[in-house]
Amino acid sequence: MNEQHGTPRTRRRFLQAAAAAGIVGVAGCNTPGDNGNGTETETEDGGSAGGESGPEQIGSGQSPFGSRELSGVPMSEMPDLEGELTLYSGRGEALVGELVGFIEDLYPNFTVRPQYNSAAELVNQIDIEGDNSPADVFYSVNAGALGALADMNRTQPLPQEVLDFVPQSFRSPDDSWIGTSGRARSVPYNTDTFSESDIPDSIMAFPETAEFEGELGWAPTYSSFQAFITAMRVLEGEDATREWLSGMQDLGVSQYGDEFQIARAVADGEISAGLTNHYYIQRVLARRGQSAPLSTAFTQNDAGAVFNVAGACVLDTAEDSTLAANFVRHLLSAEAQDYFARTTFEYPLVPEVEPIGRLPTIDELNPPEELNLSQLSDLETTIELLRETGVL
Amino acid sequence: MATEHRTTADDEGGEESELPLGVSVAAAAVAAAVLLPVLWLVKTGLEVGVDEAIALLTRPTTLEVFLNSAFLVALTTAACVLIGVPLAYLTVRTDLPFRRFWTIIVSLPLVIPSYVGAFAFVSAFGPQGSFQRLLAPIGVERIPEIYGLEGTVLILTLYTYPYVYITARAALKSMDTTLIDAARTLEHDRWETFRRVTVPQIRPAVAAGALLSGLYVLADFGTPSIMRYDVFTRVIFVEFGTFGRDTATLLSLQLVAVTLFILWLESRVRGEERTTAGGRSRAAVSLGAWRYPAMGFAALVAGLALVVPLAILLSWLGTASATVNQSLAFEWAYALNSVTVAAAAAAVAVVAGIPIAYLSARYDGLLPAAFERVSYVGYAVPGVVLGLALVFFGSQYATPIYQTLYLLVFAYVIRFLPQSVGSLRASFLSVDPALPEAARTLGQTSAGAFRYVTLPLVAPGLFGGAALVFLTTMKELPATLLLRPSGFTTLVTHIWTAYESGYFGQAAVPALVLLFVSGLSMLVILRQEGYDVK
Repeated sequence: MNEQHGTPRTRRRFLQAAAAAGIVGVAGCNTPGDNGNGTETETEDGGSAGGESGPEQIGSGQSPFGSRELSGVPMSEMPDLEGELTLYSGRGEALVGELVGFIEDLYPNFTVRPQYNSAAELVNQIDIEGDNSPADVFYSVNAGALGALADMNRTQPLPQEVLDFVPQSFRSPDDSWIGTSGRARSVPYNTDTFSESDIPDSIMAFPETAEFEGELGWAPTYSSFQAFITAMRVLEGEDATREWLSGMQDLGVSQYGDEFQIARAVADGEISAGLTNHYYIQRVLARRGQSAPLSTAFTQNDAGAVFNVAGACVLDTAEDSTLAANFVRHLLSAEAQDYFARTTFEYPLVPEVEPIGRLPTIDELNPPEELNLSQLSDLETTIELLRETGVL
Repeated sequence: MATEHRTTADDEGGEESELPLGVSVAAAAVAAAVLLPVLWLVKTGLEVGVDEAIALLTRPTTLEVFLNSAFLVALTTAACVLIGVPLAYLTVRTDLPFRRFWTIIVSLPLVIPSYVGAFAFVSAFGPQGSFQRLLAPIGVERIPEIYGLEGTVLILTLYTYPYVYITARAALKSMDTTLIDAARTLEHDRWETFRRVTVPQIRPAVAAGALLSGLYVLADFGTPSIMRYDVFTRVIFVEFGTFGRDTATLLSLQLVAVTLFILWLESRVRGEERTTAGGRSRAAVSLGAWRYPAMGFAALVAGLALVVPLAILLSWLGTASATVNQSLAFEWAYALNSVTVAAAAAAVAVVAGIPIAYLSARYDGLLPAAFERVSYVGYAVPGVVLGLALVFFGSQYATPIYQTLYLLVFAYVIRFLPQSVGSLRASFLSVDPALPEAARTLGQTSAGAFRYVTLPLVAPGLFGGAALVFLTTMKELPATLLLRPSGFTTLVTHIWTAYESGYFGQAAVPALVLLFVSGLSMLVILRQEGYDVK
């Protein structure tokens, strides 16, 4: 099923550059068949040094990147980039800095000026800067922040040849932004406490599940959680969502600052299950070794299984729209899509590129079909509801 | 007796005209600059609309976080005074063994950013943290919860009590101890003497230190959020996160109002101030058998505040992976960047602080007091709000310096000005106005008298204030993230980058470098105190 567009030369160049740059260690997992032990020896917190990481080297002698061939369109077949580009990145430098640097290094006359901060602060910043914004491209962790900029009329439509890279459901209906990688809502659970069949198929059943009493964690200030509640509002209605929130509180759900903390707390046994994006589980496993008592479950066809995207848009203040659009195009290249899969454990959105780790492919997931991602930008009503129910 | 040198003593009315014009204009300019961000808050707040504003401000959750914030500020400030004042007394006025050592050790917690302290305490004492794992073999399954109000108060106290300690210490050092002798000859016992003589003299300084602690707590977002305690700043954060900027700024305005209230409260507590002719040293109070409990107290406070984060950082260091992503590799340039902007901010903050501190120490009246109070406003506004306000001013009205180091340093100065003003003001108060007057009678101009007489005498306060601004600028995160030039990485932004993606090991080196450099500047503060001894 792998269509092999990738020319070996480009692939080698990327891998060499990336390996030299040292992202090797982060790419913890190999192909799904492999045992996927991380080469990353980092542990989750100070006290657990050595205790739970499995720094086994990959024994088979293959490249740490596995024997995977790149699929999709390589950067070498894309238009050259030339000039200066100001990138406002709501995605962390630790996660995407390497990729941005790689693209920059590929072209001698191309300079990226990156500004890293949280997506929400950057949206506020772009809004406040108005016509004087130096930003050309905004790169976001979620569709909500992109939608917010589109609602403020601060984006310009992407060219069709860029939009064509991903299926319609992963981009804005008005062509104002495009998804570059995917994140599925998931249920991390501690395998010492639960087995996969213990996790209900329906997110709405969680409050009535007695085994979850005092065992669940959520992160209500985290944007992906808020997008998930927004999805529930759209799919199930406001009353059902309110009831669900109250039910979860009656269950004694613990509150965390972000979802990475939840995944770690589940692996620690501090709680037994939680609500997080799928890749946090993969990141904990990559560092602690696959023997850590942590696994992923998905609910079916409901808000608990929303498939959101990280993506990019070109701003109305972009100095060179063509350059900006072509930069976004590079984020959809074979190399970039493979990078997302290996380094950030996200779902590649270009259909030819497969996910990494013990994850079902996109087709095997059952996200709610009747939901459009652009419906997730209405956070205000959600916040209101979270406040009313005392969650926030 | 310490004498009052107040120009107001008899003629309240003629006050304003006596203010020196040049200094007043300079002070007014600085005060106006500090108010810029508030203008933006008011402008954005007005766009919200009255109905919505009232609905928002009277919402039950708003009230709840208001009360939470109030409890947190009150408890932390009280705890800071209860820890800071005795420590200052012990290290200045008693024969505590190894005084020099304890003086340095108990000041050092100020170099640790409170959010780093919070991370460390959560990793060490959280459920399933290092401490619990240590106890696990003897059957301890759960340890008491560190999250919530108690934990937040603990952390913030440990990392802000040095404000009270440092100011109280300076006041004790410059205090005229002949008064104490007088009291003792009047048969007052030691406690009575402390209460009736020492307390009134150090009260203004302690109030100023407590004000710095309290306002820091009010504006801090990181610690309460890590400790899972709901305060104002978190609601503001959530609003910004949903692009509800109007609501967030409205809440920030409310925060400014609370700040003004605290400033008013402090001015009541501060009490009567005196300019003193400087302290006369006297034999230290003998602790007798109490010297060991006293050392134990200092060791406990500093030990908790220093050992826990250092141990955690060092253990993170052990887990740092060599094969991690290149963007997380530590570069010395980050330390250089931090030091450069912090030194620039310290220098500018001192220069900008001089006219305000001078006026408010030397002249009574509405205007000098107003300038001084205004200088605190930026300090209590959360960094992210201040940052966004300056994004507005920078991108609309100052495009040439937008996203340059100039605007970044400007932000730091607005944010940390009160630290230099407070320190300078205390120094001006301790200079006997008779001295520059003498210089004038000897033919100096007023500027010359200031330059050759007053300035050398306030040098300790000047350096102390500069070091304090340097230290806090090194630690500042939210405004730095918003206003730094593209690609400009400092120690804290690097720690943030590593931490938010979970690469704790990579956060350890910059954090340790930060502590080391800040620790050096702390030594500067303490060394400068040498000037005080007359």
